[in-house]
Amino acid sequence: MGHRKYELYSMDWDLKEELRDCLVAAAPYGGPIALLRNPWRKEKAASVRPVLEIYSASGMPLASLLWKSGPVVSLGWSAEEELLCVQEDGVVLVYGLHGDFRRHFSMGNEVLQNRVLDARIFHTEFGSGVAILTGAHRFTLSANVGDLKLRRMPEVPGLQSAPSCWTTLCQDRVAHILLAVGPDLYLLDHAACSSVTPPGLAPGVSSFLQMAVSFTYRHLALFTDTGYIWMGTTSLKEKLCEFNCNIRAPPKQMVWCSRPRSKERAVVVAWERRLMVVGDAPESIQFVLDEDSYLVPELDGVRIFSRSTHEFLHEVPVASEEIFKIASMAPGALLLEAQKEYEKESQKADEYLREIQELGQLTQAVQQCIEAAGHEHRPDMQKSLLRAASFGKCFLDRFPPDSFVRMCQDLRVLNAVRDYHIGIPLTYSQYKQLTIQVLLDRLVLRRLYPLAIQICEYLRLPEVQGVSRILAHWACYKVQQKDVSDEDVARAINQKLGDTPGVSYSDIAARAYGCGRTELAIKLLEYEPRSGEQVPLLLKMKRSKLALSKAIESGDTDLVFTVLLHLKNELNRGDFFMTLRNQPMALSLYRQFCKYQELETLKDLYNQDDNHQELGSFHIRASYAAEERIEGRVAALQTAADAFYKAKNEFAAKATEDQMRLLRLQRRLEDELGGRFLDLSLHDTVTTLILGGHNKRAEQLARDFRIPDKRLWWLKLTALADLEDWEELEKFSKSKKSPIGYLPFVEICMKQHNKYEAKKYTSRVGPEQKVKALLLVGDVAQAADVAIEHRNEAELSLVLSHCTGATDGATADKIQRARAQAQKK
Amino acid sequence: MAAHLSYGRVNLNVLREAVRRELREFLDKCAGSKAIVWDEYLTGPFGLIAQYSLLKEHEVEKMFTLKGSRLPAADVKNIIFFVRPRLELMDIIAENVLSEDRRGPARDFHILFVPRRSLLCEQRLKDLGVLGSFIHREEYSLDLIPFDGDLLSMESEGAFKQVANMMIRMKREFTGSQNSIFPVFDNLLLLDRNVDLLTPLATQLTYEGLIDEIYGIQNSYVKLPPEKFAPKKQGDGGKDLPTEAKKLQLNSAEELYAEIRDKNFNAVGSVLSKKAKVISAAFEERHNAKTVGEIKQFVSQLPHMQAARGSLANHTSIAELIKDVTTSEDFFDKLTVEQEFMSGIDTDKVNSYVEECIAQKHPLIKVLRLVCLQSVCNSGLKQKVLDYYKREILQTYGYEHILTLHNLEKAGLLKPQLGGRNNYPTIRKTLRLWMDDVNEQNPTDISYVYSGYAPLSVRLAQLLSRPGWRSIEEVLRILPGPHFEERQPLPTGLQKKRQPGENRITLIFFLGGVTFAEIAALRFLSQLEDGGTEYVIATTKLMNGASWIESLMEKPF
Repeated sequence: MGHRKYELYSMDWDLKEELRDCLVAAAPYGGPIALLRNPWRKEKAASVRPVLEIYSASGMPLASLLWKSGPVVSLGWSAEEELLCVQEDGVVLVYGLHGDFRRHFSMGNEVLQNRVLDARIFHTEFGSGVAILTGAHRFTLSANVGDLKLRRMPEVPGLQSAPSCWTTLCQDRVAHILLAVGPDLYLLDHAACSSVTPPGLAPGVSSFLQMAVSFTYRHLALFTDTGYIWMGTTSLKEKLCEFNCNIRAPPKQMVWCSRPRSKERAVVVAWERRLMVVGDAPESIQFVLDEDSYLVPELDGVRIFSRSTHEFLHEVPVASEEIFKIASMAPGALLLEAQKEYEKESQKADEYLREIQELGQLTQAVQQCIEAAGHEHRPDMQKSLLRAASFGKCFLDRFPPDSFVRMCQDLRVLNAVRDYHIGIPLTYSQYKQLTIQVLLDRLVLRRLYPLAIQICEYLRLPEVQGVSRILAHWACYKVQQKDVSDEDVARAINQKLGDTPGVSYSDIAARAYGCGRTELAIKLLEYEPRSGEQVPLLLKMKRSKLALSKAIESGDTDLVFTVLLHLKNELNRGDFFMTLRNQPMALSLYRQFCKYQELETLKDLYNQDDNHQELGSFHIRASYAAEERIEGRVAALQTAADAFYKAKNEFAAKATEDQMRLLRLQRRLEDELGGRFLDLSLHDTVTTLILGGHNKRAEQLARDFRIPDKRLWWLKLTALADLEDWEELEKFSKSKKSPIGYLPFVEICMKQHNKYEAKKYTSRVGPEQKVKALLLVGDVAQAADVAIEHRNEAELSLVLSHCTGATDGATADKIQRARAQAQKK
Repeated sequence: MAAHLSYGRVNLNVLREAVRRELREFLDKCAGSKAIVWDEYLTGPFGLIAQYSLLKEHEVEKMFTLKGSRLPAADVKNIIFFVRPRLELMDIIAENVLSEDRRGPARDFHILFVPRRSLLCEQRLKDLGVLGSFIHREEYSLDLIPFDGDLLSMESEGAFKQVANMMIRMKREFTGSQNSIFPVFDNLLLLDRNVDLLTPLATQLTYEGLIDEIYGIQNSYVKLPPEKFAPKKQGDGGKDLPTEAKKLQLNSAEELYAEIRDKNFNAVGSVLSKKAKVISAAFEERHNAKTVGEIKQFVSQLPHMQAARGSLANHTSIAELIKDVTTSEDFFDKLTVEQEFMSGIDTDKVNSYVEECIAQKHPLIKVLRLVCLQSVCNSGLKQKVLDYYKREILQTYGYEHILTLHNLEKAGLLKPQLGGRNNYPTIRKTLRLWMDDVNEQNPTDISYVYSGYAPLSVRLAQLLSRPGWRSIEEVLRILPGPHFEERQPLPTGLQKKRQPGENRITLIFFLGGVTFAEIAALRFLSQLEDGGTEYVIATTKLMNGASWIESLMEKPF
């Protein structure tokens, strides 16, 4: 079995106590380590308060706080690197990486009553879960603490004492619990408890001492009291291998150590002073532990840390093994040799190279070197492998450069975060699994903003995903610095962020407000270019008037309305109106709103503004809509007229008074003559009177309201023609000289198809319209005469266009002759 | 299906596809059978982007019009309201939902706000106690509806909207989610209708403009009197004359219409007769077809020829209908008066034709349009003249129109002349708004669209592109509203290298509406060989003088 172990960091965390006296939790992916010293065990004096300490993986202190809450049973890190502290009473306290308290939740009443006996924090694809074993030997779990849904697992029949060991499994997206009681194993899902037996388990087992599930939940290992280890699939359907280590002492920890997609299976078992790597080989690898150590399972290996060191144990990757195996003839190994010889300026370089090329394995060699470089921890090794790859590349025509370039970039990032100041010892495989986005998030979480930005810039990530996002996080952190003045914070933030795209100042401001820094929030909002974004927060901060002006700036009417309705509830009517008055746009919008929704308010608004013109219009509308009785309508109009006078709109006032007069009159007409007069226009009223034969009244009305003569003539003309009262029409035409001429008389008669009457008027039509009149009555010949007499070309053509072939042939000739004559002259 | 949108330099079909996709996504969110309850106003605009078949594909089984009280019975799982964010509509919806709740099996309600969600409306629904009944409440940003290859309209009456936001949205739609945005337009010209109150008041004289003036084009459809479209078959004896209005869609997808829509109406007749000859000649070809191959060739062209013939028949009928109107004496008189006003003749006196129109109770809109035109062409009317007109109108048409008159005054369409100064002649001369020598057949200037009057708005755009507004600064000062120019700096990488001969593209946005004649004028400019600028037109609303005045009219009962 190829396993190797190398040092990640030498730890200088100056621990005062042994690890075995602490509750320990280390987050995967090179995450932080939490220690809770002096837990509530046995005889220790209760007067001493325990201390919760958080370190980076390199032992750099991140936080240290006195534990003031209740006894803690278990610690664990969530996928977001939040520390979950499970208390004996079932309350889970959540802390940030820097020891900042985030929130807390309870695991339910049943847990509270029976106390927590043991707890595990586990990770699923949905997030991080908590499983609790209570004093009543029942399990409760929540598969995702972000969306807390408690599930009480079914009872294990006949369970009298605590299980000897247990673990959480995750199968088909559902969390299960596997527990061992004496020689029996039980699997709990949300519905049932079933007894299970691992296939091929050696006989003679009377109890299970440890169990371990692999990082990906695929594999399970069981350690029995006979010193026998069973390794198989989590489904318990298949045995992979077994190993007898002949140590009966219960191990302190047992974890899987395998690499994704590798065929090798291995678990690491730790006792007090001994570490053993076992798999399907008959021999195990053994290490002596000089000091108290703690194992952290990782995706592709195991981290082991103690008071003084932090190491990584993993199965040697294939590429590395090929290259570094003693006397290896793998192409990568030869290439590495070739490059070394080349540097020594030795001809052997050429020999090695030839050897590879002859086998046609140069591409493979380069690939091997690149891959192996990724798995090396030490930069000098990485470099020499990459140098070899680069060397080999020179002899290849078409080797795509991206894999080499990408590896160089990735290693640069990895070396940067592995630095002990940063303390994130990610392997290449872990990094790829985690993705750069999550790594950046973790750097942000550690407040390592400059490094994060450098990485973004180095990798040329798009601003929105990269630099902008990090700057925004930085700004959100910055606003929490209480010792810096609002001015300085705001300025500092603006200087750094400027107009970087994708940065939302309103989000930062919201954070500032969350920290109780309203003034700062307002200052920050000033930098927000989208005024629409400013409004909701301003409202929340009760800066409604500012919100109003911002809403207006945004031009979003809906936003303006929202603020207005907010203000309306917040302020008394007077103040509200005053505010509106200073914001003409808001005022006009509000008026629109009132027009449909609150007519009375509209009136008040006009009143307050002394807008008499609109007030007048308002009352006019009321006179139509709100009032039925004539008195009411007249009264409303009177109010309107008064308003128009105040508005110095004499015309409207007079017109309104006329209307009042007309209304009263129409009412009287209805009473006296019957029929419908109300709401007719003056013109129609007069017409109706004429049609009804009340000529006198019509005359009177026209005089009273000073209908201009011209229009009155038109009116009478039309009405009389409608009545076909030709006699009256003729009388009317002779009553005095018509102000509209006599062509309309001709036209109206023709409209009623009365040519006889029409002809009566043609002689009186003025010379300018005579031709037209004659044509109307169909007297083409005479029309031609008149046109010729007028010597008017337009008239001549008009007449000509009315000449129909047969009947008017002579006339047409006549016109043509006249035309010809006119042209001669 | 919407090929006419792809013709232009800027492919507006992308925009149509984007809105269609959004619609499909929303419909698919509401799983199961659906009924749509329509805000009636929206059906027109929606027709332009999605046919019923698209809705049907997504399990829309019933469609209702939004009305008070209860919904018609429908055995569907989802009921979706498509509405504008109007408070009064919310009340109706609440009524619908509440009565539906009493009725029986629970349905899923959803609401789609067009074009945007409104907090105000949601608050109202909450107050009415139904907000919780809606599972999906979303907005559908049908801001700019593509009408043609170079024409977008928001089709919203209330024109207070944020244009900048929409520009951003458009950019996004055009370029996907890339970070760097390649500019589609070189210039953006925002024109507020207030700058040019005159143009819409004049009667449009292009073919499309006249169709709109006389019959009104709604969402690219026009309804025409059916008589002229009756199939002329022998022996039919004119028995079964269709009684329902003939509905036609008008856009550049129709080849013939694309050719004649923007022509002065007087130039349309000759095109139609030429087309008629070409088509009948093409049909005559069949007699020459002798060999099987020739006949086959002829037959393969038949569908296209038949479509062309159908199209020609339709437009010949429409042209006849229009001609009946334009040759009438009254139309001529009205046009004469309009042209007198626009060329500055006797604008400061009471006009006898207007007087007669009132006395004969011609439609009020026509009267108002003329009076407003006179007012605008005289920088306001003398107080005496104005009062006379107003009094005549109130006495003839009824006192209630005092509200309408007031609205017109607020809009600046009707006003007393202030300080006794008439600026219009200066504007007219500087901007060459009146051209005496118009060639209607082969126009050389935009003034052909009004047979003499060059639309002010378009003239401004034309002068902006060449030689620039600096030359007309004095006039700009007289025109209402502030004017400003802004340059949007571009990263050097995005600066387009213009091919020689490639024109700049200007997006011209008419706030407050645009007429078909103005569009025709802009298209004319785009086509000019040495114009140097092509225009894509966007607007809040397609309008004409009548619809404009109508939107300002108020009836209190």
